[in-house]
Amino acid sequence: MSTQHVLLGLLAGGARHGYELKRAHDARLPRARPLAFGQVYATLARLQRDGLVVPAGQERDGGPDRTAYALTDQGRAALEHWLGTVEPPMPYLASTLFAKVVVALLATDVDRARAYLTAQRRAHTERLRELTAVKTAPTASLDDIVAADFAIAHLDADLRWLHTTLDRVADWHREVHS
Amino acid sequence: MRPATLLRLAVAGTRTDTARVALTALSATLATLAGLAAATVLAIPTQVCCGGRNLSEQYSNALLREPGLRGGTALALLLLTVPVLALAGQCARLGAPARDRRLAALRLAGATPGQVTRIAVLETGVASLLGTLVGLGAYLAGRELLDRPDARGRLALPTDVLPPVGVLAALVVGLPLLAALVSAVLLRGVSATPFGVVRRGVRERAPGPWAGLLIVSGLAAFASFNPLLNWYQDRHRTPPVLLPPLLLLGGGLAALVGVVIGTGWLSYTAGRLLHRYGRGPAALLASRRLTTDPWAGSRTFAALLAAVVVGAGAAGMRAMMLAQVEVHRRTGAVEDTDGFYLRTMDLVDLAVGVAMAIAAGGLVVALVEGIVARRRAYAALVATGVPRGAIGRSIAWQALAPAVPAVGVALAVGFFFSRGVAGGPVRGGGAMVKVCDAGEQLCADPATRAQHVRFVWVPELTVFPDVPLGQLAWVGAGALAAVLVTVGVGLVFLRSSTAVEELRTT
Amino acid sequence: MTQLAARGVVKAYGRTPALAGVTVDVAEGEIVAVTGPSGCGKSTLLHCLAGILRPDAGEVTWRGERIDTWSEGARSRLRRTEFGVLFQFGQLVAELTAAENVALPLLLAGTGRRVARTAALTWLERLGVADVADVRPGEMSGGQQQRCATARALVTEPRVLFADEPTGALDTLAGEQVLTQLVRLAREQRTTVVLVTHEPRIAAYADREVVLRDGLVDHTGLGLDLPLAGGHR
Repeated sequence: MSTQHVLLGLLAGGARHGYELKRAHDARLPRARPLAFGQVYATLARLQRDGLVVPAGQERDGGPDRTAYALTDQGRAALEHWLGTVEPPMPYLASTLFAKVVVALLATDVDRARAYLTAQRRAHTERLRELTAVKTAPTASLDDIVAADFAIAHLDADLRWLHTTLDRVADWHREVHS
Repeated sequence: MRPATLLRLAVAGTRTDTARVALTALSATLATLAGLAAATVLAIPTQVCCGGRNLSEQYSNALLREPGLRGGTALALLLLTVPVLALAGQCARLGAPARDRRLAALRLAGATPGQVTRIAVLETGVASLLGTLVGLGAYLAGRELLDRPDARGRLALPTDVLPPVGVLAALVVGLPLLAALVSAVLLRGVSATPFGVVRRGVRERAPGPWAGLLIVSGLAAFASFNPLLNWYQDRHRTPPVLLPPLLLLGGGLAALVGVVIGTGWLSYTAGRLLHRYGRGPAALLASRRLTTDPWAGSRTFAALLAAVVVGAGAAGMRAMMLAQVEVHRRTGAVEDTDGFYLRTMDLVDLAVGVAMAIAAGGLVVALVEGIVARRRAYAALVATGVPRGAIGRSIAWQALAPAVPAVGVALAVGFFFSRGVAGGPVRGGGAMVKVCDAGEQLCADPATRAQHVRFVWVPELTVFPDVPLGQLAWVGAGALAAVLVTVGVGLVFLRSSTAVEELRTT
Repeated sequence: MTQLAARGVVKAYGRTPALAGVTVDVAEGEIVAVTGPSGCGKSTLLHCLAGILRPDAGEVTWRGERIDTWSEGARSRLRRTEFGVLFQFGQLVAELTAAENVALPLLLAGTGRRVARTAALTWLERLGVADVADVRPGEMSGGQQQRCATARALVTEPRVLFADEPTGALDTLAGEQVLTQLVRLAREQRTTVVLVTHEPRIAAYADREVVLRDGLVDHTGLGLDLPLAGGHR
């Protein structure tokens, strides 16, 4: 995921400084990996270098330097372009899950692969249940629900794959070793 | 499509479809038999002999012997086909939703509307043809078996004549063609769209007051019958030829249609009353079904109500005849035709009974179809703990709430019909009458009778015919018993229709 | 505490075995999902637990009492008073309005019509379908129908709600809305739920999962330590 573009999007509403950006990011994308401060400042520096954002004043109230940043016209154009671009649907199969099952079949036997798949299925199911609990909590906001939905849909897809692969693993092993 | 494929698809169905085919064939058989009987009676040649009375002396039954009565007999036999056709109509609805879905599936699989129609038409046509052929066979066999002259060489039934071959062929081939045509018309909706089942909007419109108007106009026609004829008579003029049949047939038809349509109104009103005042879920379920489709009652009870109207009319006629006999007895003018007419009424009553039994058969089919069509919802209710008894009670409510008042109306209409036709009080006397005032033995012997006969003045007297409450009650009770029996049969089907397995079917 | 249990339940349809000895314990207030591939006997287990079907062998107990030996009438009464049942579709009476459908179980229990209607409206409101109270099922969407059916299943405030693929005929969003409300209300009322589904996503609404395979319990998924809402760690 492009942190650059997310930050550009968060700046679209007006100038903000780094700390505010991190807060906004974590609130709006609740299920995403939390953004580290270092990453925010590094990204902002890169955006400034490319002319997409400019510093828009400084404030200092007791704490560290707080530089606010604002979008440039070029930055706005870059954001527009990004939003208008369709993401390529799964160009490469880049799942550790998949790779691990293949390696298990190549390196060990069916039972090992099956044991891994079963354990993974259990872990997935647990996570699915956690996310569902988050989603159905009376206090859940729409941000939470939409984010949980996204994760649930992916977990669900993985789980379906795990189910069918468990049933196919013996045949698959035979094919790999023939 | 090859004929073999066509036939294979036409007979590919469930048990319900088999039942429908069998029942269609059965009603075709019954209709053929009734039609053939009527044709045979009409085929009796009128002989010119015996001093112009043209009697066909080879028969023991006066209905067949007298040419004047044969038309009526044939008409009565033809009228028996009415409940039979109603039964056939009900049978066509049996399992119809499932068949419509199957045909729609064929359409989705690429069958043209024509092909689908041909499949369905073939089913009905072949079933009816089988039925009519069986009917013809039964008729021919019956002719051989029942051809038993009595001691005086007279026949009980006209087994010595055969209707013209043309009439036979018309019946045997015409009935299936008619049935096929009707089914083709009924299937237009399915063959037009491959999705067959269209979500039907709920009909919430109350039936209009047309039923009441029809009944009232019918009754008015009956009531005006005698006064009108008397009016012409008083002025020594002959009424227009068409007037009497127009009044009787038109009035009768209007009243009959009114009774049948009125059942829709009665269903609707009974449903509304039940909804407002009824207690418990059974009443609620029944009331909503009655108001949602009030015409279901009209459709299902039509044949039964027609039989009740005829039965009540016959009861009224019998009361008139009894009054006539009473007048004859009191005035001493006993006629030997009295007994004959009363025996004829027995035959009419028998026909009414048969018609009611056939109508009850149609009722069973309609009720079971209604239950089977709702089996998912019923099974779900039973699963949630609704006792089958409650559902059974709702079905009983639903049948009886409109049936009881409708039978009452039908009884009244039939009775007033007979009053209109036969007039009110019977008058007699006011004339000199020959009376034999000796013992029965002396009067019976022509030799001695003459000595004891004298003329007496019999004063004018009027006998008011009884309202035959007893007989009307019997007709009504018979009709309601038929409804109750059908409800009982329906409840047997309810058990299998509410099995848990029904929740898995779509 | 075990509220409802099956012990070695065996059930066959003719010569086709559906359950080959299933043992399941359901605690009070628990939401249990019964899952597994189609034909594994999920629905049959639900029907046995709910006392709709009688097992060929084994026991079904409700609060320690065997109910599989009870008469049909007694089990009907139990279902009517203590259980609620929800199916995939087609369970509403087509001729009755939504409110009347929901009020039906109360009327059966002898509640007056006015009281029953008020309760029905309350439950329709809770499930967010108060606007279709006087509409018949044929004119509602699938989601609305299922929510009415849920209201009907919950209106008697049952101890246990049995749901057999309640979202099977719905699209994702409608199914989620039905299930979210069902689970929320069940937790509020501390109603036990036995939820049959073949979808992992739906099973995730439960505290615990019982996976059936060929008529036997394949495995039982562990529940969360904190099954209540907001239990993300």
